[in-house]
Amino acid sequence: MAVEIVVPRLGWTMEEGIFGEWLKPEGASIAVGDLLFTIETDKATQEVESLEAGILRIAPGGPKAGDVVLVGALLGYLTAVGEAAPLATAPARSSTFSEKSNFSESVSAATPAIRGNEPTISPRARRVAGELDIDWSALNGSGRTGRIVERDVRAAAAQPRPEPVEGQPVLAEVRATPVARRLAEDAGIDLAAISPARPGARIGREDVEAAIAAHTPLPAPTQLPAPSQLATPNSQLIPTSRIRRLIAQRMADSAHTTAAVTLTTEADASALVALRQQLKATFGPRNLPVPSYNDLLIKLSAVALQAHPHLNATWNETEIVLHEVVHIGLAVDTAEGLLVPVVRDAHLKGVRQIAADTQALAEKIEAHRVGPDELQGGTFTITNLGMYNIDAFTPIINLPQCAILGVGRIVAKPVIVNDAVVPGKTVALSLTFDHRVVDGAPAARFLNAIREFVEEPALWLVG
Amino acid sequence: MREITFMEGTREVLAAAMEADPTIFVVGEGIGARGGNFATTLGLYERFGPERLRDTPISERGFVGMCCGAAMTGTRPIVDFMFLDFILDAMGELINQISKIQYMSSGRLKMPILLRGCIGIGHAAATHHSGSYYPIFTHIPGFRVVVPSNAYDAKGLFATAIRSDDPVLFLEHKSLIFNKGQVPDGDYAIPFGQARVAREGTDCTVVAIGSMVDKVLNVAGELAADGVSVEVVDPRTVAPLDMDTILASVHKTGRLLVVDETFQPCGIGAEIAAQVVDRGFDDLDAPIRRLNGAHAPTPYSPPLESAIVPNLQTIAQSIRDLLAE
Repeated sequence: MAVEIVVPRLGWTMEEGIFGEWLKPEGASIAVGDLLFTIETDKATQEVESLEAGILRIAPGGPKAGDVVLVGALLGYLTAVGEAAPLATAPARSSTFSEKSNFSESVSAATPAIRGNEPTISPRARRVAGELDIDWSALNGSGRTGRIVERDVRAAAAQPRPEPVEGQPVLAEVRATPVARRLAEDAGIDLAAISPARPGARIGREDVEAAIAAHTPLPAPTQLPAPSQLATPNSQLIPTSRIRRLIAQRMADSAHTTAAVTLTTEADASALVALRQQLKATFGPRNLPVPSYNDLLIKLSAVALQAHPHLNATWNETEIVLHEVVHIGLAVDTAEGLLVPVVRDAHLKGVRQIAADTQALAEKIEAHRVGPDELQGGTFTITNLGMYNIDAFTPIINLPQCAILGVGRIVAKPVIVNDAVVPGKTVALSLTFDHRVVDGAPAARFLNAIREFVEEPALWLVG
Repeated sequence: MREITFMEGTREVLAAAMEADPTIFVVGEGIGARGGNFATTLGLYERFGPERLRDTPISERGFVGMCCGAAMTGTRPIVDFMFLDFILDAMGELINQISKIQYMSSGRLKMPILLRGCIGIGHAAATHHSGSYYPIFTHIPGFRVVVPSNAYDAKGLFATAIRSDDPVLFLEHKSLIFNKGQVPDGDYAIPFGQARVAREGTDCTVVAIGSMVDKVLNVAGELAADGVSVEVVDPRTVAPLDMDTILASVHKTGRLLVVDETFQPCGIGAEIAAQVVDRGFDDLDAPIRRLNGAHAPTPYSPPLESAIVPNLQTIAQSIRDLLAE
């Protein structure tokens, strides 16, 4: 324990003196009896000897030659070899006895200051930041040591999120370090596709570098002629957004990988239309959400898939994976491009829950807050172009799925019932399937099941 | 319901228990005709006589050892230490025998011994008459350690203590024993290991032990005027210790201060802090703070004595420091 060197009371009435000089340098090894410093009193200048041995540590902020010092003022310490001097600068008065306790009192324990420039954050604030999806690395901490605390995170969450800049992806903010973002941008890797090292952690440089190593990067258009050579006069050059390039990559992969075949059929839509009207009439006046055609199609597809598991599968070269669950993606057109949010466990949910899910997903997409989790994991996809007056078409399979259902418009048409021509409503159903995984006949049976479900909702509504 | 003192509450339970169970007897210095230095047995000698209230010589090791034997052989002794400090002479009997008998006999022998005494700083009782020492008893397996803070809890906890077949240390702070409180007339028992939320709050949790409870509540009331909302938890027993209530409180507030008159090193606050960091790490918005009495023998001089225990100012300052973290 360091021994304090204090201004001694050299006379009965002495209360202060004038500091002269140190007689030994900082760090000198002092023996008992060595002269340490001089003090000037009324009488004379006196040399003060050391009563202890140790290494001399002069207190920072201590007196200079000519300074008036009080009796008892701290001048420095004698420490043992290897011992650090107490950090505090010299106070006006020293303690009258040295602490020889085994433990330091910590009535108000001081925690260490920020290490380097890394922000620190309390465990609670870190948890809340995860819950509220806030990137805390950019926050200023109001904690005593500059630590980010809960109130800082909640304050940040209460602020409105900035609108995304033109050309930037609309996916929810992925938590990543600035270095990682830059690396990913340069490499053309979508941050949303990268998993961080630990759940809830930010994506760091190492994660992006690993993804670069594992990924084929998006193709740079080096083989193509320069845009200026292609452009006709006054043509508009639109830089491809990250989401556009991603869509391009995925569509091309699907087209080049799968053995895609499209089957089409026409279903009598009158029962489906009647069902929808009934739902509207029941829920509408009660201000409850009315399930849409897509919600009904999601449910009936899920039921059909449970009976036709080979259409709810993934090709894995040496094996075909038949998924136990049914997660159905619904293709959605947005200003930034095609997004396919997924309704999970459609086979377990009722139509009303599915309707609630699709509503929630639509709101998130609208608010640019849809996250990677909501866009991944589907086992089947539905794409509905009916609102654009399309009938049959050839949708592209959404890998790693093996089938996709295209839905056309519900159109009024003459139909044959009991050998008579009557007005009816029909809807075109197009099923693109991967012939690697499943053959035409089973695929056709599945599409037939879909048609049957469209025509007789009781088969799947009742459960 | 009427207003009686902490000590009167325990006496009510003791008298009723002695009436109902002839195997209960009290042993200690001055607990017979005198009625106890702290009025622990006032009036009981007239009712139950010298067989049931046995004055002893000043030989704690001897009579504690005897009571250990008595408890093993079918009676229910109460050892009344007067000043709890005197138990230190009997530590061998306490730790090597009393705490371990049930284990060593595979449960065949019970140890229904109630060890009670007055603890705490504040009456210029100085170095040998101001101890609390409950962290030591809490540390040893085999004891129940009870630190009531008010008359209601004292009566209810004493009822549980006197029925327990385990060794119970019932510790009564000198500053609290003559405090009055609203106490029900009839029987009731407060189980061990059940903390009380003495005041609800949202900004920080203060766990206060024994004599500190009233002081902390006082400070919390003052701070409320400044818009500070302090939740105060009184563990009531430190062994067993109700960590669930403390953790639930820290989950709510995010900040924890433990205020305890006993020494800081290896104290109850250290145990609570370690458990909260272990089980409630993600709830903490700030480091855990402890405010304790000074780690020093108790001075005799009254100004020095008041300087070494947490007071209203130091408690308030600690809470403010904690909120600034």
